[in-house]
Amino acid sequence: MSNSVTERNTHVTMDPAALKADSRRKMTIGEIIAFILLICITITMIFPVVFMVSTALKTSKEMLQFPPTIIPRVFAWENFRTLFANEEIKFGILYKNSIIVAVVSVIGTVFSSALVAYGFTRYRAKGKRILFMLMISTMMLPYPAVMIPQFILFSNLGWVNSFLPLIVPTFLGSAYQIFLLRQFFMSLPNELYDSGRIDGCTEFRLFWKIALPLSGPALATVAIFTFIWTWNDLLGPVLYLSSQEKFTLPVGLAAMMSSKFRIAPYNLLMCASIMTTLPIIAIFASAQKHFTEGIVLTGIK
Amino acid sequence: MKQAKKKLRLLPGLILVLVFVLSACGGNSNSSGKESSGTGEKSSGPVTITYYTIDSPDRTYVEKLIPDFESAHPNIKVKVEKAPYEQFDSKLQANIAAKNAPDITSHFGYGGFAEYYNKDLLTDLTDIMNEDGFKPSDFGIQDELMDIYKVDGKTYGIPFSNYVTVLLYNKDMFDHAGLPYPPSDYEDKSWTFDKMVEVADKLTVRDDDIEKSAYGVNFGWGELDMRPAYFGVKVYSDDTWTNGGKPSETHFDSPEAIDAYQQLIDLIWDKEVSPTPAWSKSVAGQFGDPFLSGKVGMTVGGSWSLASQDQFNFKIGVAAVPYGGNDEERSVLYVDPLFVLKDSKHPKEAYEFIKFLISKDVQEKSIELSGGTPPINDQAKDKYYNSFEGVDPEAIKNVYDGANKYGVESYNHLVANYSQINELFINEFAAAENNTKPVPEVMQGIQKKLDKLLERVNK
Repeated sequence: MSNSVTERNTHVTMDPAALKADSRRKMTIGEIIAFILLICITITMIFPVVFMVSTALKTSKEMLQFPPTIIPRVFAWENFRTLFANEEIKFGILYKNSIIVAVVSVIGTVFSSALVAYGFTRYRAKGKRILFMLMISTMMLPYPAVMIPQFILFSNLGWVNSFLPLIVPTFLGSAYQIFLLRQFFMSLPNELYDSGRIDGCTEFRLFWKIALPLSGPALATVAIFTFIWTWNDLLGPVLYLSSQEKFTLPVGLAAMMSSKFRIAPYNLLMCASIMTTLPIIAIFASAQKHFTEGIVLTGIK
Repeated sequence: MKQAKKKLRLLPGLILVLVFVLSACGGNSNSSGKESSGTGEKSSGPVTITYYTIDSPDRTYVEKLIPDFESAHPNIKVKVEKAPYEQFDSKLQANIAAKNAPDITSHFGYGGFAEYYNKDLLTDLTDIMNEDGFKPSDFGIQDELMDIYKVDGKTYGIPFSNYVTVLLYNKDMFDHAGLPYPPSDYEDKSWTFDKMVEVADKLTVRDDDIEKSAYGVNFGWGELDMRPAYFGVKVYSDDTWTNGGKPSETHFDSPEAIDAYQQLIDLIWDKEVSPTPAWSKSVAGQFGDPFLSGKVGMTVGGSWSLASQDQFNFKIGVAAVPYGGNDEERSVLYVDPLFVLKDSKHPKEAYEFIKFLISKDVQEKSIELSGGTPPINDQAKDKYYNSFEGVDPEAIKNVYDGANKYGVESYNHLVANYSQINELFINEFAAAENNTKPVPEVMQGIQKKLDKLLERVNK
């Protein structure tokens, strides 16, 4: 995406003839070496993905074969059907649950974090710095340290085996995302708010109509991060969810390789992995432009 | 400005309302579950017991047995909770902390029986069993196997499955080399460790090309710390087996123990009949067991490998673990017990369910539902022996009879803090397996670290 931006710029600054000449220009030795190197690195990076797809299409006998085949002798497309039809895996339900939890968490995190970050940016108050430090310090606590007290809390609320322990906390802000958004909001000039106020905006409207629309890239970053985290989260769902109807994808995937006494159905597992990574790839691809901008912009300030 | 601020003050309120609304939803969705267990406390209605297990088909088959149990016991409802292997212990820990412990479970995760026993998590079932007149023979459980989970004569776990250690061999490789198959009879005294090495040597193809190379035997007898026992060498002091798994002394650097480990390392580097760790890694890939590649003639390991044999790309047979100089112990047993946890409010009902699980019919059913779990109940074993297409049932029977007769329960169930000990061994022993350090030096290093570890954890 960033390439297209620079390309567009060259169109503007260079005349077409010069551009044509530039594209016909011979590559230097250094560039050739760099390209070869990059291609090699790309291949090593892509190989696991190729192997994932290849294993996904193997029969359970071929998957155990040595030496392993890269291109399956028989393409076992029915693995995908088996995955969705299997009564024990219930892949469709896992998928649905993961989407519910991830989407609601994204909404919750973006809204609540933006609100808190806005407050931290716009207002002066006694002890604001201490509050901010306190909030930032919660980032230092690893999940396993708070896991059990939190579990006891939610268990006493009667929330176990529901999505609530996974969703409700996201409506209470995430320290990391608040920090990220605060840095972005600080870059917005105060004059904007002043003019908004002159036009009679309420404080919430300033937030809603000025701060948020101008923060597209930062919000996209927060949304993508949150989506990926919740999409991949395993320990939380394992602790709080106990019936098969509530499980999310990572729980299902972990279960598929949980047996100590049987060979895991790696071909089905790889089918499941492909299906699981697709949404992340799709979301990242569609939001990539905003995402990279977001990281750059928040980084500068 | 003032108005704006007032409105802003409403926001936290709004959020609170949102949370309350959500929590109300949560209360509703959960109340149904609570009611059933709530009424359980009154003696009139049915009680609900929870069975906690690993979320994999060879463990969750219990779910399919529940309807039968509930129709026979209208006063007991059974709920199955499950977690992936890696998170099994964490989830159990959290539930115990939240006073929400399951009623029945086993050492399905990393921790073994000794862990549960030493943390005082287990119910002593002796009184309940005596009151009921429990006789192991009624359930086809051999006395020796029943005794594994007794401490000071008190029963803390009732066995339900009976994995043993077997020698699996690749029939195709034996046929190709024109060698006779190894015997399944434990009383066949000609089948010794040395004989096995001799056969392995004939099966081995030493070639730098990994695709042409093959090895004779992969000797995975028990975990690393247990292997001297195969040669009749004691490494843990005797009190370990009577005090809940806390050894007062260990002898991993004794000349006998070093000699035992040396014999096993020699299989790789001196006799070159066993694969190096690097070779195993490269042929086993993601599946972890080099035997599956079809390039290892014999493998000594848990009998669970049998359950997946129909997926193998070659034919297999089962044989006895060869005699290694220990007259009593030749096969490591992996007998899994069912525990009733101490926090259980319904230990009697839990015990009823355990009895149901080890009864003949249910054990027979479980073999199929779980894809080949060996029953503890001798009355159901015939069905198990006949469950593996292409493998001689008679041979499996011989191997099981001999294994249980010359069996020793795996130390990972019986020694306290085993996962730390095991990790220490895996890390330190790699130097010997990779031939980067001589065995005596490695074992002295292990002994020193183990002393420190045990001093720290067994205080």
